Amino acid sequence: MSTEFVFATAQYESGDWDSAPLVPPNIIDTIARYTEIAVAPTGVIVALSDDRMLRYPLLFLTGHLPVRFTEAERRNVRRFVERGGMLFVDDHNHDIDGTFHKTATEEITRSVGPLVELPNDHQLYTAFFKFDGPPTTSHELNGWGDNLVHRHLLAVMRGGRIAVLYSSKDYSSEWNYHPDSKRFLSVDNTRFAVNIVVYALSA
Amino acid sequence: MRSPRSRFELACRVGVFALLGWLLGASVIPSGGRRADTVNGAGLERRLPVWTRLPSNVALHANLDVTPAAATIDWLAALGHSGHSVTWTGTPTPLAVAAEALADPRGGTSVHVAAPAGSSVVLRDDASVLDSVRIANLGVSVTASDVVGSMVAGVRGETAKVRAPDSVHVRSVVVVGGAGWEGKFIVAALEERGWHVIARFAVAPSVDVGQNAALVLDTARIAAVIAVDTLLGRFGGAIERYVRSGGGLVLAGSSSLAAPASRLAPGALGARFRPAVLPADTIGLGATGFYPVASLERDAIALERRTGGVSIAARRVGAGRVIQVGYDDSWRWRMAGGPGSEVAHRAWWSRLVSGVAYAPPAGADETGTSAAPLAAMIARIGPARPLPPGMGGRAPIDRRVYMIVIMVLLLAEWGSRRWRGLR
Repeated sequence: MSTEFVFATAQYESGDWDSAPLVPPNIIDTIARYTEIAVAPTGVIVALSDDRMLRYPLLFLTGHLPVRFTEAERRNVRRFVERGGMLFVDDHNHDIDGTFHKTATEEITRSVGPLVELPNDHQLYTAFFKFDGPPTTSHELNGWGDNLVHRHLLAVMRGGRIAVLYSSKDYSSEWNYHPDSKRFLSVDNTRFAVNIVVYALSA
Repeated sequence: MRSPRSRFELACRVGVFALLGWLLGASVIPSGGRRADTVNGAGLERRLPVWTRLPSNVALHANLDVTPAAATIDWLAALGHSGHSVTWTGTPTPLAVAAEALADPRGGTSVHVAAPAGSSVVLRDDASVLDSVRIANLGVSVTASDVVGSMVAGVRGETAKVRAPDSVHVRSVVVVGGAGWEGKFIVAALEERGWHVIARFAVAPSVDVGQNAALVLDTARIAAVIAVDTLLGRFGGAIERYVRSGGGLVLAGSSSLAAPASRLAPGALGARFRPAVLPADTIGLGATGFYPVASLERDAIALERRTGGVSIAARRVGAGRVIQVGYDDSWRWRMAGGPGSEVAHRAWWSRLVSGVAYAPPAGADETGTSAAPLAAMIARIGPARPLPPGMGGRAPIDRRVYMIVIMVLLLAEWGSRRWRGLR
């Protein structure tokens, strides 16, 4: 086992956990591009029901469809958070009170605790790049929600740290492209992923 | 022909003059031979006033089963300084106790007891019995969460006592290294345990995350530094100055490969040991491999060995202490270990830091009690040795006895004469 950072995507039995397959390589590319963090060149997929999910203290979970954890998934998520892991959940829809949002927040509340608004001056937004709050995605402005901008991320806090980071901003769509395509962007829109990883690794 | 009564009166008078003459002669003419007075341990304290009045040519000897009280030893030492030959024989049980405040946010006292192997030592404070420990080799260390007054160790009638130290003000702990799970979970473990932690993690060239305040390595502020990797090299010579002045240093993983650390490390780091089979389910400490301490310095000791070599070693450097830990992924134990592994990880790291953390020295023991009675007695009056050959027997009779005898003889003569009607 190496000590390098491995980006892990959470697989759960309900829903479409693999709806954003290009997000992991894109984030790995961003981490390698901006930081000197030792990062594994490929990510892994780990089932929430498998105890081996505890070997990856930062887990990325996304999807469009309702989220209903099995008992084993719920138990493992609870252990994961209690031991200091950080679960990053992104709603691949970018609406309000959609099925993913309602079911995922219910599951998180049941498994770990209630989500609260994360202040926009939280350490997460200055962990590496400086942001005034969660960066807006192109889908928020032009997509299904019609200028539906989510001003805050949500979080479950444990001991002053973010245990679950919940986003309705649809970073799964925003970052779901091949890393080589970054050269067409005037500003790299995956920079916030560096903050999430650096925060998880240092806070 | 004298009557029996007048012969009695004459005998009394002669006896009085003989005793007075003997006392006068003994006071001006020193005795040629040396005598000794021997007492057993139980009667020693009662005998001391008598010994104090004996002439200095009388050797004093005690047979001891138990080390006398500190005041008695002081008295014996004083007699030795006044010209007496003071010796002792016997087999008091060697016993010593030491107590130091733990540099831990939760407080506590670390108690170290030295006693013969196999003996059972009872530990108590001024309030109650705390624990009973069996000495496996030469000594034992226990941690007491709360000690009232003094710590007393007792074995085979012997007691050693030491004043419980005041709790110490615990200073901050610095964790440095590259951003990664090991550093993150070390910080988490220590903070959860109550330590104030200053984290400094490098994430990019010239970009660190953590507390932004200038970091000055100084025992007035910093109790210990934990290095996760070779980024410790950034401190240069400051880390060595810090350790030599009393600071603690934990060299985890590959950190002792950094130039300033290699001079302080208990040993050189070997190639990372990797087990042939990785654990399929839960992960224990070191189950995924570690950096063995390949060659220990002469003044270093191995604290833990496992398949693959020494995993933890320690040494003193100047006034400071350094622990080298071969584990570079203890976080896996916390995250993927069995039930309670996060608690064990937290306690393990806190204990490790406590072991090296700087704590100001405690004040001197003001109670006058002895933490090592037998050692203290040997230091004051010397080791056990028998009386020199030819010396023995009883000590001279107390001279007050002679005066009493004289008074009795005079009264007897006077009474007898009055009985006969004489004046």
